[in-house]
Amino acid sequence: MADRVMKVNAFTTFDLLDASVEGHGFEEEAFATLNVRTAREAPEEITLELELDNTELENVPPHADRVTLSADEARTFATELQKAADRVDDTQP
Amino acid sequence: MPSKVERWKDETYGMEVRDHLLQFAEEGWDAIPEDEHDAWFERFKWWGLYHQRKGQESYFMMRIGTPMGRMTPEQLRTVGEVAKKYATGPVENPEFGDAYADFTTRQSIQLHWINVEDIADIWDELESVGLSTIQACGDSWRNIVGSPVAGRDADELIDVWPVVQELHETFKGNDLYSNLPRKWKVAMTGDRRGSGQGDINDLAFEPAVKELEGEEVAGFNVNVGGGLSRKEPRFARDIDVFCRPENAADVAAGMSALFRDYGDREDRFNARIKFLVDEWGPEKIRSVLQEEYMDYELPTAGQGLRDEYDYNAGRSDSHGDYVGVHDQSDGQNFVGLYVTVGRMGAEDVIDLADLAEEYGSEMIGLTQRQNVIVGDIADEDLDDFLAEDLLDEHSPDPHPFMRGSIACTGTEYCSLSIVETKNRMVRYGRWLRDNVSLPEGVDDFHIHLSGCTASCAQPQIADISLRGMKTRKDGDAVEAFDIGLGGGLGENPTFADWVKMRVPADEVPGYIANLLDAFEQERESPEQSFRDFVAERDEDALAALAESEETSYEDPYLGNTKMTWYPYAEDTAMDASPAPTDGQGEPLPSDD
Repeated sequence: MADRVMKVNAFTTFDLLDASVEGHGFEEEAFATLNVRTAREAPEEITLELELDNTELENVPPHADRVTLSADEARTFATELQKAADRVDDTQP
Repeated sequence: MPSKVERWKDETYGMEVRDHLLQFAEEGWDAIPEDEHDAWFERFKWWGLYHQRKGQESYFMMRIGTPMGRMTPEQLRTVGEVAKKYATGPVENPEFGDAYADFTTRQSIQLHWINVEDIADIWDELESVGLSTIQACGDSWRNIVGSPVAGRDADELIDVWPVVQELHETFKGNDLYSNLPRKWKVAMTGDRRGSGQGDINDLAFEPAVKELEGEEVAGFNVNVGGGLSRKEPRFARDIDVFCRPENAADVAAGMSALFRDYGDREDRFNARIKFLVDEWGPEKIRSVLQEEYMDYELPTAGQGLRDEYDYNAGRSDSHGDYVGVHDQSDGQNFVGLYVTVGRMGAEDVIDLADLAEEYGSEMIGLTQRQNVIVGDIADEDLDDFLAEDLLDEHSPDPHPFMRGSIACTGTEYCSLSIVETKNRMVRYGRWLRDNVSLPEGVDDFHIHLSGCTASCAQPQIADISLRGMKTRKDGDAVEAFDIGLGGGLGENPTFADWVKMRVPADEVPGYIANLLDAFEQERESPEQSFRDFVAERDEDALAALAESEETSYEDPYLGNTKMTWYPYAEDTAMDASPAPTDGQGEPLPSDD
């Protein structure tokens, strides 16, 4: 198998998440790492990195996905996540 | 734009950091402005001090650089005494006690729980015997690695010790090379073993011969741009340069100046010279070195000795380390002793220094496999030396599973690691020794355990590579390892093939047992090495070789040790930490 694409250390945002990948005619589940990253110096954007463990995937080659967000987009995203988290909390007994 | 670290370095760096450190030592931990911690901690590295991780504020790791791991017994004793006096923390380590020294894969020494208030006294003690923490960390010439027994080894082409001393004296404390874009790791090998492990260094001098002006000259081929970190492992690339021993300092000066001037100072992740070699290619590195930094014509590469290399090479016909009794060129012997994951109790360090002196040894050597060598044991004293009590623990003939174990610092102290490492590797080694039979003919089996992708335990160059991860087991997040197989150096250096991800830490010994069972069943002959066995199989076959499983092995560190303030404390909760503390170890009031 190929090595991981993303580095993983104590500064990685999540080193253990449940994830899945879906395509036409396939859907596979795997553990994943997810990291929020900004440049160390004068960051202009936020990068979200996601990598599913390639040992558990047959239909896609080993890879990591990246999404870049502006500061405003990141805030919108954070607000959405916050609202969603509140909704989940509200349904807990 | 230069990075933040570059700006801090522009303000204060190198030799001048010493005065600031001495000032902080006098005034105490609280004198380091809280909003400047990151900048100061970065600068302190140049003088060998790393701030320990979250939960251990005000405590430092101190690294002492010993060129080629070489020391006198007197120096070793001082290390032990300093460890005993200053390297004790609030809680004992259950395996190693309250004071110990770590021997590292780059032949340096690391002490933990150092208070800034003690720095001046520690430097006084170390420097009184010629030891130093200068440039042990930070963006400059690091400790030069190579064979500690150079000049004594009966199996060598060149005695590189005088050359390494020259490099050490030239490039330590030298303002011209004190602020490089990133660390600069140099290896020099003069033996036929390949013991410098130059392939994984920024600059490697490899032994070679070349006919120059009608004369056969013993010197070095020069390779550049090796390293394991950042998930981008590289072997040093051949730049087609031969170098006489007397020119080594010139070539080293040229290469480190080239790195100083052309390395990436905007992106630290891209700063190591391996990335410049990627970008330029070895030919351009050579031509820029020649045209801009050298005042003589560089000869092309000579004939290397690589086909003889056996150090950490995974060969079935020779041990890949210095453990055991070896012939010296002067008729005496050097004896390599096993040190459990490179960590030796302070009392043992002192006892070993006394013992070495008693037997007339003038040389102690730390190896890149985290072991220790005592040189100069006469034939007539050898039996007595081998019968000494200290060698029961630090054996010249350890079980292969113990002998082959290497581990990095891990969550005990390190900010990057995501798993516990050293104590776990000790427990793995013991369990494997007591429960798993090695296949016939296998005398060496290297397991390198690293806490994250930074690769400090050199996981990519081992029979079995363990790299820290997390997984879920019975609903709980537990520490785990990615597993690689079949890496090693030698004639044809190879990085491990990664074959399993997120194996729960308590199932790793079971995996290794099953793997060795499969190896024994399927290998073509008892002469086939594990590394060759791996090399002839594809990824799918390797992944299918063995499965992990629970066994009688018990893992006390399975939970998330990263979240503890210290993994072995009675109360491991972050808020139970006494840190930060003053120079006497008393907790200081915290702002939050």
